[in-house]
Amino acid sequence: MISWALIALGLLLVLIGTLGVLRLPDVYSRLQASGVSDNAGLGLVLVGLIARNGFDKADLILGLLLVLLLLTNPIVTHSIAKSTFTLEHREKGEEQ
Amino acid sequence: MPIAEGVLLLSLAGVLTRLVRGPSHGDRLLAYNSAANRVFVLLAVIGTFSDRPAFLSVSVVYAALSFLGVVILARFTERGGGHR
Repeated sequence: MISWALIALGLLLVLIGTLGVLRLPDVYSRLQASGVSDNAGLGLVLVGLIARNGFDKADLILGLLLVLLLLTNPIVTHSIAKSTFTLEHREKGEEQ
Repeated sequence: MPIAEGVLLLSLAGVLTRLVRGPSHGDRLLAYNSAANRVFVLLAVIGTFSDRPAFLSVSVVYAALSFLGVVILARFTERGGGHR
């Protein structure tokens, strides 16, 4: 029963993050909405899937997936933000 | 229980809308990253609820390859991209 609560909370966070990606006005604010809510919401969905039954072999693969999500998503967010910042300021520097 | 899959598909459609009409490169990259995250969690949900363990292995490989693709595209855009 607690797994359903975790999955429902994660899906709510994912929907809020999608709304933020669709409605926020700037690249950086969309990046913040996407990064935070993806980490929290999809991570909670994966934790709910792990806590669904007793321990078996599929839980190890789900744990690996959770580690992969929590490890790579901040790197990707930082990389996209750095790319956008560098491109924007290079264009401004060429105009001067 | 198809409610979780339905909610994930709905949010996938919303993120793909941002992928289609994003004004800059950063918008498209972040929408692609979010869509890839939703797709691999959707694969994990389907594989867990219908007892198919092969879907979980596909999900791990999809996550690793999408991470590599987004980082490579971000570095490529940072160094000038295709318009130079």
